[in-house]
Amino acid sequence: MEYEEKTGRAHRPLSPKQNVRKNLDFEPLSTTALILEDRPANLPAKPAEEAQKHRQQYEEMVVQAKKRELKEAQKRKKQLEERCKLEDSIGNAVLTWNNEILPNWETMCCSRKVRELWWQGIPPSVRGKVWSLAIGNELNITHELYDICLARAKEKWRSRSTVGAEVECEDAGFSTADREASLELIKLDISRTFPNLCIFQQGGPYHDTLHSILGAYTCYRPDVGYVQGMSFIAAVLILNLDTADAFIAFSNLLNKPCQMAFFRVDHGLMLTYFAAFEVFFEENLPKLFAHFKKNNLTPDIYLIDWIFTLYSKSLPLDLACRVWDVFCRDGEEFLFRTALGILKLFEDILTKMDFIHIAQFLTKLPEDLPSEEFFTSIAAIQMQSRNKKWAQILAALQKDNREMEKGSPSLKH
Amino acid sequence: MSQAAMSETYDFLFKFLVIGNAGTGKSCLLHQFIEKKFKDDSNHTIGVEFGSKIINVGGKYVKLQIWDTAGQERFRSVTRSYYRGAAGALLVYDITSRETYNALTNWLTDARMLASQNIVIILCGNKKDLDADREVTFLEASRFAQENGKRIRSRKNGLRYSVWRCCLETAEITTKSTSTKCSGMWVLKKQNTTSNIFTLDTEAVRANGV
Repeated sequence: MEYEEKTGRAHRPLSPKQNVRKNLDFEPLSTTALILEDRPANLPAKPAEEAQKHRQQYEEMVVQAKKRELKEAQKRKKQLEERCKLEDSIGNAVLTWNNEILPNWETMCCSRKVRELWWQGIPPSVRGKVWSLAIGNELNITHELYDICLARAKEKWRSRSTVGAEVECEDAGFSTADREASLELIKLDISRTFPNLCIFQQGGPYHDTLHSILGAYTCYRPDVGYVQGMSFIAAVLILNLDTADAFIAFSNLLNKPCQMAFFRVDHGLMLTYFAAFEVFFEENLPKLFAHFKKNNLTPDIYLIDWIFTLYSKSLPLDLACRVWDVFCRDGEEFLFRTALGILKLFEDILTKMDFIHIAQFLTKLPEDLPSEEFFTSIAAIQMQSRNKKWAQILAALQKDNREMEKGSPSLKH
Repeated sequence: MSQAAMSETYDFLFKFLVIGNAGTGKSCLLHQFIEKKFKDDSNHTIGVEFGSKIINVGGKYVKLQIWDTAGQERFRSVTRSYYRGAAGALLVYDITSRETYNALTNWLTDARMLASQNIVIILCGNKKDLDADREVTFLEASRFAQENGKRIRSRKNGLRYSVWRCCLETAEITTKSTSTKCSGMWVLKKQNTTSNIFTLDTEAVRANGV
């Protein structure tokens, strides 16, 4: 068909279509202007009047299309400019972080300017470095120590795979069994960590790295061992740091009081954290707080997952990394502030839900969380209650608990 | 589902637990039950996740509130606080792992102590698709169910009877939605069952029961 059309046209060089095309320096993409083609030979020809009308209509259409496309081109240009601006600002931020902040970390890390830049999100290329510095290395772990722990872990894996099941049953002391189980569990969980990224699964590029870090940690801290949730934290660190540095950051991060309380599953202390959270919950979102109370929805239901994985399982990864950024800046209180930010963002829908729907919603957040609104919502949360800060509230609650514990045996006598 | 489900009106509300060792496929089973779809890229559950569904039991609408708990031993102290008020539990083990089967006694003790002595248990031997690696036979599991089960002696219109009926239906729906292969796998006959532990072999099925 197309061929016929073209050859046909070649014989009639003055077809109206070509005339029009010559007159127009701009040719819209969306129309082939069939309307201007001559009628097939077996039909009567178009009257001149009609042809004129069609030409006119076509030209109008062309003008409209031109306008539209011009507008779209302008929009694209603007978007491109915005992206360039964003890239520039990231580029600038990278320069600022690399040339100004990182070399003078100790003196600059707490300045107002740096804190503001930090809130915007750390550029991915310097993220790992900033996290490492912010988390610190209180435990003085060296790369050599990591190698030693890893070697020990590998030793264990080997002995486990060579020694048969008979020995396993014979020395089935509870703690050994538990430790053995945790080695198995690490293997199982690695493939269940960010499964959609397909990089930590068997055969993926970071499978062995994740396995190594978790294994080395169980040898470094046999008293803590492997606890579900750790694989997500290690994975996020691996995405931003070299293996040994990721291990150092991982061990130091887990050593922070809040993380220790959770990963040791110190239930009493976890409840204290939840109680402190509720103080700020009531202060910031009294209506929703009352609604949750009425529905018996306790904070452990949603906070456990969020705190154990530092939001990396429940938020889209880029958002989770931004939460980690500010968590590195502000410490544990930011984890709870983020939780309140989420509750605030969805306050309206949550107030209309019953227990099971709230629980379902919060344990499986929507995938398309709007990032700017999300951070605006977190920013609106005040971490001050009656002039008391997070740390003060938490300390006061811990003190109460200790006194209660001390008091309870004497009550029995 | 019916309009009753859409508008969320129901006659009974039952809390259901999904318990069992890590990696036995608890969340997968729940997903299959709620969504009727196989979940391929599942994360491990930290703490607890939820599901809900309204089912029709003998003309009454029953809303199931399902608590899908974390399996790791370390989380026991946390998950134990979730048992209160549960009417039934899906107790899951992996047929290819004797270890997960051996743990059933502990899970059962927890369920009876923390929920209720009369909690209805649906014993699920999951991963039937890996039958070649099976370490626990169905017969063995059903014997476990009979030895540990309690006789149902409630009157027909008592609450316990309704709970029991409901679990029976749930078990049936679970079986139906998980696999055509195991719909006949009941050892305890459906209507004449007097034990409150049911045994099932289940399998989360990819697409149309491959």
